[in-house]
Amino acid sequence: MNEFIEDLRRQFEAELAGVTSLDSWKFVRDKWLARESGLITTQMKRLRELPKEERPAFGQAMNQFRSFVEMNLEAGLAKAKEAGAHGNKKRIDVTRPGFPYALGNEHPIKRLQAEIEQVFMAMGFRIFDLAEIESDYYNFEALNMPRNHPARDAQDTFYLSELTLLRTHCSSVQVHAMEAMQPPIRAVSTGKVYRRDPFDATHSPMFYQVDVLVVDEGITMGDLKGTLDQFLKRIFREDIQMRLRPGFFPFVEPGAEVDISCIFCFGKGCPKCKQSGWIEILGAGMVHPKVLRMSGVDDSRFSGFAWGMGIDRVAILKYGVEDIRLFFENDLRFLSQF
Amino acid sequence: MKISIEWLKEYVEIPEDVEKLKQDLTMSGLLVESISEYEGTPVLEIEVTSNRPDCLSHIGIAREVAAIYGRPLRMPSLQRQLHPKQDNISFAIEIVDPDLCPRYCGIVMTGFHVAESPSWLRHRLECAGMRPVNNIVDVTNYVLLEFGHPLHAFDFKLLQQGKISVARAAAGQKMTTLDGIERELDSEMLLINDGAGPVAIAGVMGGLESEISLSTDTVLLESAYFQPASVRRTSKKLGLSTEASYRFERGADWENPVPSIARACFLIKELAGGKIAGGLKDVNPIKLAPAVIELKQSRAEAILGVHLDEAFVKSTLEKLNFKPKRSGKGVWQVTCPSYRADMELEADLIEELARFYGYQNIPARYPASTRAGVPSPIFHLESSIRQILRGLGYSEAINLSFAGESEQREFPVPTSERIEILNPLTEDTQFLRTSLAGGLVRSVKRNLNHDVNRVRLFELGKVYERDAAGAPSERLALGLLGAGGWAGHNWQNLSGHFDFFHLKGIISTLLSGLRCESYEIVPADNVGWLDPLQTGALMVGGKRIGYAGALNPSIEESYKLKEPVYLAEINLKELSPYLFRPVRYEALAKYPPVERDLSVMIEREIPFAAIYKGIQGVGIAELVSVELIDIYEGNKIPPGKVSITLRFIFQDREKTLTVERVQGFSDNILAFLRESHGAERR
Repeated sequence: MNEFIEDLRRQFEAELAGVTSLDSWKFVRDKWLARESGLITTQMKRLRELPKEERPAFGQAMNQFRSFVEMNLEAGLAKAKEAGAHGNKKRIDVTRPGFPYALGNEHPIKRLQAEIEQVFMAMGFRIFDLAEIESDYYNFEALNMPRNHPARDAQDTFYLSELTLLRTHCSSVQVHAMEAMQPPIRAVSTGKVYRRDPFDATHSPMFYQVDVLVVDEGITMGDLKGTLDQFLKRIFREDIQMRLRPGFFPFVEPGAEVDISCIFCFGKGCPKCKQSGWIEILGAGMVHPKVLRMSGVDDSRFSGFAWGMGIDRVAILKYGVEDIRLFFENDLRFLSQF
Repeated sequence: MKISIEWLKEYVEIPEDVEKLKQDLTMSGLLVESISEYEGTPVLEIEVTSNRPDCLSHIGIAREVAAIYGRPLRMPSLQRQLHPKQDNISFAIEIVDPDLCPRYCGIVMTGFHVAESPSWLRHRLECAGMRPVNNIVDVTNYVLLEFGHPLHAFDFKLLQQGKISVARAAAGQKMTTLDGIERELDSEMLLINDGAGPVAIAGVMGGLESEISLSTDTVLLESAYFQPASVRRTSKKLGLSTEASYRFERGADWENPVPSIARACFLIKELAGGKIAGGLKDVNPIKLAPAVIELKQSRAEAILGVHLDEAFVKSTLEKLNFKPKRSGKGVWQVTCPSYRADMELEADLIEELARFYGYQNIPARYPASTRAGVPSPIFHLESSIRQILRGLGYSEAINLSFAGESEQREFPVPTSERIEILNPLTEDTQFLRTSLAGGLVRSVKRNLNHDVNRVRLFELGKVYERDAAGAPSERLALGLLGAGGWAGHNWQNLSGHFDFFHLKGIISTLLSGLRCESYEIVPADNVGWLDPLQTGALMVGGKRIGYAGALNPSIEESYKLKEPVYLAEINLKELSPYLFRPVRYEALAKYPPVERDLSVMIEREIPFAAIYKGIQGVGIAELVSVELIDIYEGNKIPPGKVSITLRFIFQDREKTLTVERVQGFSDNILAFLRESHGAERR
């Protein structure tokens, strides 16, 4: 009799060991434990065929066996689930390429423009959005460039009428800011400017500028240098060197040309900086007293500084772009690099 | 300005090391762009800014060098006696318009031979980039390069009546200049006339008729001071810029005419054996006085942010030939040299002090700001658009703001009047663009030509037109362009071609990202550059503020585009008041939404918007959304009809929806569709 149950046990263990999925586990469970047709139930029916004296022992043994089956099935469930999870399905090839979502590209000039505006906002400046179509007064007259001033030669201008033009710089922010607010003034404007230069590798009739104005009591050339130094370090790199030398712009006096240490050779001298170690980057100076006066600022009480810089020029230097036309051709082979 | 080192050395001692000279000149404001060599002589290429005409000569540069190094200046030999014992030749000078010519000097020389100049002189002219002509003309040019003062030599025998008269031209008067071009003059141009007519345009160019030739034996030398603005105006108007006009328009030295003419006489005597036959006439009806400027040391210190010694101020100014007279503690009355045309205000003197103090010696200060920065009014709009579109795969484009006649024809904007540039560079840049479409189409063409076949571009930029009053105006616009597959090639085969509804989807996503209040796209066919069968107008706040559609097939063909192109343009100025609807939190629903699909067959001509708006109008408060999830047209349904499947989402915020209520909603919608649009359930 024990042998009989022992056979059942072996059979059960063999079947349980063969379980590879939840389904096959369920099959084994039902085969042994189903209420009506399960092996345990059907084998229990043999009880009646046994002599009376053997019946209690057989019944007890079968009940023990049932517990054994139940326990082992319980224990096998987790394994069956796990095996089942991998059962018929195969591992995916995670090395295949993902779906080609495409991210658009930033335009290098617009990226720099935003960076520049953010640096100035952090320094407490107000950013002005000004029109590209400008009057002769704001573009020239009020910046101490009256009619017939030779400095106008350097800014060959597109005219829309005798006194309306496409702005040649963003410097008119000086005049607009002084008209719009009282000192202390910290103003910046960026955007497109136009000069009558033919479109070639180094010239464009349209380019981008940033112009800056600070007017307050006690503003000195030292403040100009400090603010410039901060700005250039944020835009280029922390270890950039800066050099001011006398320069001429009609709307500032004293005026300065600002050079930075060559970012290609770190000041050692290379073809990009014509072996000088320096690269001319912007024009600056103390606001000309006439410019202050024309915009209604008392130049005996207030002083200020201003500077202007080409954003394209910075992009050319920072990214090593050799042809300015690339900025305005929208070739995705170019844009996708940014 | 080209400066020969060997020539410069005649006037001042310079450092052995030319590189040092280059550095020191650059840091004092005379940028030495390069050092080249002409036949063994080093030549400095100096960029002289327009405020420093006094540096447009070798002596001018020598003066700066002398000031920088504190060394003496050696002036060249001049003809001392400018009046012969007896004038052999008589001539007359008359200034009719002294406002334009305050001073005019003339002298007559004779007895020379016109010939080639000696080689040293030719070499010097060539170093400076000038072409030698003959000894007389070369001397005038030499003096120009040496003293910076333009001279002119007339063949005296060709001057009628031996007379010079300086006067404004008559309107419409004509004369032929040395370059052989006949020029028409106006009444603001100053002329040098002889007894019969014009012989030179004052300060710009001489006339052809009185030119020095090999047979010239008597010469009248002119050395004058002309009013700068007048010379500039004439030069600009005639489109004629010369070495002379370049200097006069920036401001010559009114004390220079006599030394310059004396130098020329000396050289003509030395080189060609000439002698003075008609003594110097110096007609000077308006005597110009040197500027006297008050300089307060405290002001200089306040501007520069450094402390200055009185001794430094005095010695710096004196080195530069200014005459400072102390009129109080730290106050100077400064008389400027006559050649410093740039000296007008105290600030000009402060710059001189700064130059010699050294810009590099001014310590940097970091002014603190206690105020928060303020972004521009469009910063938020622009950066939001950029961020959203970039995320949707669009790259930012920048096109030139110009358009040519042909682009204006292809991409007309219905109502606006374009703005013409009076002095365009080329025909292609004759107008300001009225639309972003032209530039974007050129950009897509460039990309397709380079086999970049999936193109997504946007441009945020101004377009320009005249306003109702005819004044030029500009406004911000957004252009969008899509062409090629909507996704890159991929092994999942999730692809398909970009079409109108992709573009519309981009616009919808953008507008919802910008929290636009409400908008719709309605059929339109009035945009010339779009396909009339595939064009929609963007309506916001009851106004048309943009267009979207397929590029007109005729433009597609003329540009030879190999992919269908879809374009949109939105007027951001009109759009912006409807954006950035304030955020207001709404409690999350506690009861689950119920989804229900409905398929109906309907006339093809009925626009989806009519169905959509109609359903919204049925008045089911629990209707949260209506989506169009399928459209079928084909042989399973009658021609002229389409089958559409709509998906509704219903939700009751107060209680769980019962099956019966949902069925009721669905029945109401079906009833509406049946009655209003003749829909049949499928």
